Formats: sequence, structure tokens, C-alpha cells
Amino acid sequence: MAELAIDVHDLTKTYRTPFTRRRIEALRGVTFSVERGQIFGFVGPNGAGKTTTIRTLMGLVRPSSGRATLLGHALPSRDARHKIGFLPEAPYFYDYLDVGELCDLAGRLFGLPPQIRKARADELIERVGLGRARGQSLKKFSKGMLQRAGLAQALMNDPELVVLDEPMSGLDPIGRKEVRDLILALRDQGKTVFFSTHILSDVEAITDRVAIIARGQLQAHGTPAELVSQSVLGIEVTVRLPLPAGAGKPRRQAGSPEAPAGAPEAPEAPESVPPPGLPDAPDAAPDAPPSIDLALTRGATRVRRLGDELSLVLAADADVDAWITRAHAAGAKIVQIAPRHETLEDLFLRRVTPEEFPRAKGSPGTSPAVAPLPSVAGADRAAGENGQAEP
Amino acid sequence: MIGRIWAIALNTFREAARIRVLYGILVLVFATNLLAIFLGQLAVYDAGRVARDVGLAGISLFGSLTAIFLGVFLLYTEVQRRTIHVIVAKPISRWEFIAGKYAGMGLVLTVLVGVFALAMIAMVITQGTGVSSAIGKAVVLAWFEVLTVAAIAIFFSAFSTPFLSGIFALAMWVIGRLTPDLEAQVRAATPWIRITTRIALQIVPDIHLFAVSGRTLDGGAVSVHGEFVPWSYVGLAGIHGLGWIVALLALAALLFHRRDFA
Repeated sequence: MAELAIDVHDLTKTYRTPFTRRRIEALRGVTFSVERGQIFGFVGPNGAGKTTTIRTLMGLVRPSSGRATLLGHALPSRDARHKIGFLPEAPYFYDYLDVGELCDLAGRLFGLPPQIRKARADELIERVGLGRARGQSLKKFSKGMLQRAGLAQALMNDPELVVLDEPMSGLDPIGRKEVRDLILALRDQGKTVFFSTHILSDVEAITDRVAIIARGQLQAHGTPAELVSQSVLGIEVTVRLPLPAGAGKPRRQAGSPEAPAGAPEAPEAPESVPPPGLPDAPDAAPDAPPSIDLALTRGATRVRRLGDELSLVLAADADVDAWITRAHAAGAKIVQIAPRHETLEDLFLRRVTPEEFPRAKGSPGTSPAVAPLPSVAGADRAAGENGQAEP
Repeated sequence: MIGRIWAIALNTFREAARIRVLYGILVLVFATNLLAIFLGQLAVYDAGRVARDVGLAGISLFGSLTAIFLGVFLLYTEVQRRTIHVIVAKPISRWEFIAGKYAGMGLVLTVLVGVFALAMIAMVITQGTGVSSAIGKAVVLAWFEVLTVAAIAIFFSAFSTPFLSGIFALAMWVIGRLTPDLEAQVRAATPWIRITTRIALQIVPDIHLFAVSGRTLDGGAVSVHGEFVPWSYVGLAGIHGLGWIVALLALAALLFHRRDFA
């Protein structure tokens, strides 16, 4: 059996409200383990128990029951903390210090000699991209810069285990990528990285194992490949719709691709009717975009239109050849056909109730048989709110 | 261990040195000394006497108020702003953290008492009065007083809000200062009140031991202007204060150890 960096067994934490003494169960029997040298993603909605678990592991919170070991040391353990680097959620540091002084303070608390403190601080400050901000007090740092400073101080002791609570929070896309690269580099150095996040694309991109927590209980635990179903859930098809009869150039919407210069005009659409339950985009009137042939949407589990493009998800066992024939007959041009596998996001949304993660409602994978057609701007906004909008 | 405590102490010193209220208190102390010069000129007999009394009272009063202010805020803000999350996750015991915070506060208060004392000595010299060893002893006693009050404030701050901690610490300082007067007041009271008062006074540090000028000690009058306590008394008072400081910090560490930083 591989050596464990973290071993948590039946961990519970119950708080009581100050006056009414009402019980709040933040953790309810959480059990999981992290092998050494792995990147472990800890995923869950707000209030699921991610931060409580991490704070319990780091000795900030005393568990009500259960046991845990870090690097073989039972909690609470100062010996273990010697070998751990920790970045708290939304870190707040002494704002009168600069990043070098913050690293120096961390180094002193780890008992590092002055020369090593200085060398490590210099190296880490450059590594997290704060070289130019060395002399500035942390008071003047942006949220992303504070996050980087937090990463630098967390790595001062050259830790065996790095625990990061929401390390991508507040970072721009470049910063997120840099943190992802840093996490991967840490693993390459043989370190174990345990991090919590909301951003599922980050988890899918870099983790060896994942745990999903909700309502203080672990919902799933394993490698991303183990957790998600490998079977085909559906066929994703995107077609470009024909222009309506008598229309000139197709109307462009924000985000829709420009037609290439000199492209042949789309053939006239055959009998084409707006399907029931599929309202036009809000900004469609008065010069209506191409209407949708009802035959194309038959059997689709999800329909979405962006400008003159129509995206559908067909059932996994749908007759794709027949559908393509129908699409050609309707004058539509096939843009893309791809099988749709389950993603970590699908699993997450399945395990987490909409009440816990209300913004997940209407997201891909949880849609009813036929979803409304959001405008491009609306779709982008929804993705952004979920924190999953890629650059 | 010493290195970790020193790291926290230095950081606390830097943090406290940035608190503008402290500079306001310094200005207030200098203003009080100037007022003492003015009052001294109005005095019929000894202008230097007024300067010494006002100067020493200023060290005791402003030093203790500063100790309460720092004690109740410095620990609380660590928890409130969650800066403590980064610290406690490092290989440092919570008692080391408390000791470091106290040591940092002690450094700040020592500097302040030193500045207050220098201002008083300058004023006394301005008044044409010599600086006696009694003044030195009184300043050292005031320093012990300030350090003890700081430990009281830290103790309350380990489990209470700044407002309540401030009220409790202020109350203990006042009661500790007035212990002999309170004992005298209840001497003629009913046994029940007498016993209750004595028990209550036992759990309050004897801060009056640090402010002996103008009191009667072992049947003799003690005054910074005349016969003052010997250095042995100063030493014993210091040991007494140290005992309270250690006890209060140990209790604070115990309470802090049980706290969740959620």
C-alpha cells in the first residue's frame, strides 16, 4: 500500500450557536486518504465543509470526533506542521510587511537560519511572479498578488505536503494557469498537493484524485477517470442553419463567427417552422434569425442556438446518419459532431443539490429535455458566474 | 522556541508601532508634563514636587491605559483579520504565540515608559529639582504595573471581545490599585461583606504594590519626595508582578489553546 500523506477517518465537527446552542454539523464522518506525491482536488459548493476540513487538518479547528494523520503524525502535530505548507482561503497577511518580510516571518517560524530564509524568499518571490513588487507593502497588493504572496510563504519550508485552500481564487486566467503549473511542478518534485476549489476545469486538468464534499459529507472520492462514467452520454451536434427565405446577409450576434468572405449563400430552407417550446433569442425580433426545422430538434435532449448556429445533444443511441441526412435536407451545414462523455462537472452537479449550488440550475448536463435558448451574452454571463468560464 | 517567540514579538512590535493612537498618547503625556510645569508655578511650596507627582502619575495612568488598549486589540485583530491562520498553521504552539504577542507588547510598553520617564526627568530638571533614586525606583515600579496590566488585558482578550476585555481589564486595574482602600472600607462592614470582599480581592492582582508613594508601608510613610521604598521592595514587587504575569498568560494560553479559528 502506498504511503499516505493525509489519512482522515470519520472526521466530524459540530459547532454550536452562541446563545441558542443550536447544533451545526459542519463535517459528518468525512473519510478519505491522499497518497504521497499526488495532486488531490477537494471540491464542493460553498458551505460544504471544504474549509472546515482543511482548518481541522491544519490545527485551526479541533475536530468533534474522528482521527486524522498528516505525513504519519496524528493530529494535532507540530512535527507534521514542520513539513507542511499552508495557504488559507482568502488570505489576509500583515499589511505593513512586504512580501520578503512575510516570507522571512514564515521562515523564522519554521526555524530556518537567516541565509536559507533569504535564499528561499528570493527564489520563491521570483517563482510566484512578485519580483517587481518586492519593496511594496502587502497593503498595496491586489487580491491575486496576495494569493501569490501566500503561496510564497507557504513554500518557505520546502514542504512535503502543500495544503492550498482555494488557491485559484482571485486570480486572473494567467495567474490561474501559473498556479496550476506551480502545483504540477510541486508534484514533479515529489511533493503532495491537497487543494480545494470551485473551479472544476482546474480539478480535471491537474488532479490525480478528487473528492467531492457536500453537506459535510464526502459524496465521491477517486481518480477523475474512476468517478465519471466512460460511456457515451449523447452526441453533440452543431449545425449552421440556412438563411430564411428572402433574407439578405445573416444577422450577426455578439460572439457569433463572421462568415468567410465570398462564402456561398446558404440554400433556401425547406419547410421550416419555429418549434414549440423553443422561443427565439430575446433580441431576435424584428429581423428574425433563421428559424429551426422541427425535424432537426426531434429527439434532442438539449437545444441551444447561438446566432445562426444550432447546437443539440442527441441521445447516445440516436441514429446520427439519419439525423445528418435530415439536416442536409433542411439546408443546414454540419459544423461539428462529437460524442459527449460525462464530465466532472456533470458528476458534481449530480451529487450537489440545486439548493446548495443554485447557479448550477440550467447548466449543461442538468437541463430538462428541451432547454430555453439563452442569448450569447446571457450564456457567457451564466458561465462566468459559475466560475467556469475559460479565457 | 525562543526564535519563534521572538519572531512573533518583533512582528507585534512592528504592528504596534504603526498604531497612531500611541503617538496621540505620547503627545498627551508631553502635554501633561507641560501642564505640570504650569501647575508647579502656581504651587505655593515646591514646584518640583508637582512635576514629580504628575510625571509619575502620567507614566502609571497612560502606561496602563496603553497596555489595556494594546492588550485587547492586538490579539483580537489577529483572530478577527485571520492573520492568525497563517501563523497557527506553522510549527508554533499557541502558548508560544501568546508569549510572543505579550513580549512584543512588553517591548512597546517598555519603550513608551522609557519615553514617558525621560519626559518626566526633563521636566523635573527644568524645575531645578535633582533626580533622586526614588524617581528611578518609582519608574521601575510603574513599568512593572504597566506590564502586569498588559497581561490582564491579554488574558481577557483570549476569550472576549475588545470592548468587554477593555472593561474587565480596566475594572481589575482600578480594583487592584484600590485594594488597601477597599479593605479599609469593609473593615467595619458585616462579616459576610468583609469575607466576600477579601475573596474578591484575592483574585485581583495587587497593583497597589507598584504605586506606593503617598501610602503607609509597615507603619512608615512612603513618598517619592522623601523616604521611599528600598530596591529590595522593588525586586519583590517585580517578582510578585512576574508571578501574576506568568499565571495570567498561562491561563490565556490555556483558553487560547481550546479556541477554534473558524
